[in-house]
Amino acid sequence: MSEQPLLELKNINKFYPLGEERLQVLFDINLTVNKGEFIAVRGPSGSGKSTLMNILGCMDTADSGEYFLAGEAVHQATDSQMTKLRNLHIGFIFQKYQLINKYDVLQNVILPLLIRGIPRSQAITTAKDTLQMLGLENRLDHKPNELSGGQQQRVSIARALVGEPDILLADEPTGALDSKTGEDVLNLFKELHRQGHTIIMITHDAHVGAQAEKELHIIDGKLYI
Amino acid sequence: MSFTEILRLVWINIIGNRFKVLLTSLGIIVGSATIVIVIGIGQGGQQDVAEQFKNLNAGTITISDNSGISSGGMGGGMGGMVFVAMPSGGGNSRGSGGSMPSGMGSMPPMGGMMGQSQQRIERTTFSETDLEEISYFVPNIEELTLMATASTTVDGGTMDEEAEMNVVGATTDYFDITNLELMFGSFFDDISNDNLERVAVLGYQTAVDIFENVFDAYDSTILINGKKYTVIGVLNQTGSTVSDVDLDSSIYIPINTAKKDVMGNSYSPNIIVIAQDVDEISTTIANIEQLLSEIYPNGSFSVTDAGSQVTASQKSADTLSFMLIAIASIVFIVGGIGIMNVLFVTVKERTQEIGLLKALGSSKRDILLQFLLEANFISIFGGIVGILLSFALIPLISSFGTTIVQSAFNVVLALAFAVFTGTVFGFYPAWQAASLKPIEALNQD
Repeated sequence: MSEQPLLELKNINKFYPLGEERLQVLFDINLTVNKGEFIAVRGPSGSGKSTLMNILGCMDTADSGEYFLAGEAVHQATDSQMTKLRNLHIGFIFQKYQLINKYDVLQNVILPLLIRGIPRSQAITTAKDTLQMLGLENRLDHKPNELSGGQQQRVSIARALVGEPDILLADEPTGALDSKTGEDVLNLFKELHRQGHTIIMITHDAHVGAQAEKELHIIDGKLYI
Repeated sequence: MSFTEILRLVWINIIGNRFKVLLTSLGIIVGSATIVIVIGIGQGGQQDVAEQFKNLNAGTITISDNSGISSGGMGGGMGGMVFVAMPSGGGNSRGSGGSMPSGMGSMPPMGGMMGQSQQRIERTTFSETDLEEISYFVPNIEELTLMATASTTVDGGTMDEEAEMNVVGATTDYFDITNLELMFGSFFDDISNDNLERVAVLGYQTAVDIFENVFDAYDSTILINGKKYTVIGVLNQTGSTVSDVDLDSSIYIPINTAKKDVMGNSYSPNIIVIAQDVDEISTTIANIEQLLSEIYPNGSFSVTDAGSQVTASQKSADTLSFMLIAIASIVFIVGGIGIMNVLFVTVKERTQEIGLLKALGSSKRDILLQFLLEANFISIFGGIVGILLSFALIPLISSFGTTIVQSAFNVVLALAFAVFTGTVFGFYPAWQAASLKPIEALNQD
């Protein structure tokens, strides 16, 4: 692989202030993700996996180390540049879906495109295609809280996919679902992986982690490849 | 995000929280209604002042005796000659003489001639001679006249019983100076005055009070202080006051007739002077004071000009307006704090939503704008409802006799105040929302 990796972490360290002291939560993390990979990062709670996910998602900054995302030096980016990087390169899938119940399904899904500045009509066309692919074409004007948990998670996946990001970043995507629905979501991820999407999934669940193409372990802030 | 799309989000949030929006806007509703009403009352007060002095030439100077010595109750002798008590040999006989009103009252003061008062103040009774002196010696005089007022009994027309009314002893010039206009009939002339004719011109309100139908007044006979007068004219309604005379509620008779029939020894006329050049009025006043102090070395006069009277009234109306605006501003501040409180709570409630928007890449500016526009919407809504409320309240308040001016300016001002309040008090909560860290906001439950 002479091609430049999609994502590269080099010697990432992260500390949290703990009274007078500093608590180190990530130790010299090195990670390379190429386009089209489906990676699970598995670790128990408190292992630093959420912190890693926040750094990968450009929502938090490391105290030292370098992070390149799609050729951009994230570790040198300003707050507003990071905001733009999130919108352009990352599709978030949260454990608790994070849908806005005041807005209908369509409005929720077009949000990332509107934020990007894409005209509404064009955003709606794109979003409808994505929702159709996920079997939600009949739910456009429903409010999220009128849908089942599995449907809500699919809406949030639609929202993550609609902007055609480089990476889908899923944080415990099955954590709030029953096992049957969780299985459906994982099958969907596999399908997306087959279509060529790059997926990084954070989980504590061994079974879920095993569904990925490659499973990494994080324990006490250290990543084991 | 485009402005239209932000507006759409604002609209969805407003519609979803109708009751909260209404509650929040209450302060602004009250505030803007207060602004419209209060400024209207202030302007109404100024309009009242203007109306009141409408017939008054700004160059009008009123000169009156200010000795404080009234001859009314005590009798003319005592009043006119307060300072000559000592030289009189027959104290008793003089005293009884003093109680005879007619003789003494019409005589000019004699203190000066007695030559023995030093600093004692003497009552002054102005006469035609004084007018001649003033117009001869003082420059910048356009017109001047004598005028005297008294309250006396009037009967006639459809009145059940006699009533006290204000009688003005006037000259032909007085009608001219006070810009009085006849509804019908005529003014009396100098001949009427010289001949002590018993003719009367009625102010509009007195005509109504005496006759009910003003047109019945013409050529009717009324009793003034028990004597028969013929009504020769009725004035148009003015609503004005000139030199303390309420023009509508007075009866005008020739001054010489008034002196003889009505006022007797309490006759103490004022001189009304119209200055040619209003800008020179203070010099003119000084000159008049100088001249009078030479003619009446022991006299005490008040010389006031209409301009300063108008200015004083205008000033008190301005003070009232200012106080009312201060009250309205306080109402707005309270309303603004209301908006701020609700917005703080809203930001707290919607922390996760804000976190999500930031995770999806919403800029600080977009989020700030969204919350600021929500605050503005609430305040504009409150402003409009408050203005409508004031439209409903103004007729109600007017019915209690308060003049309220309604103007587009007041409405625009109220709306501007509402928007300003929404922006100022909405800014901090909106800024707080925009500054939230996405991870912390997302992880909040």
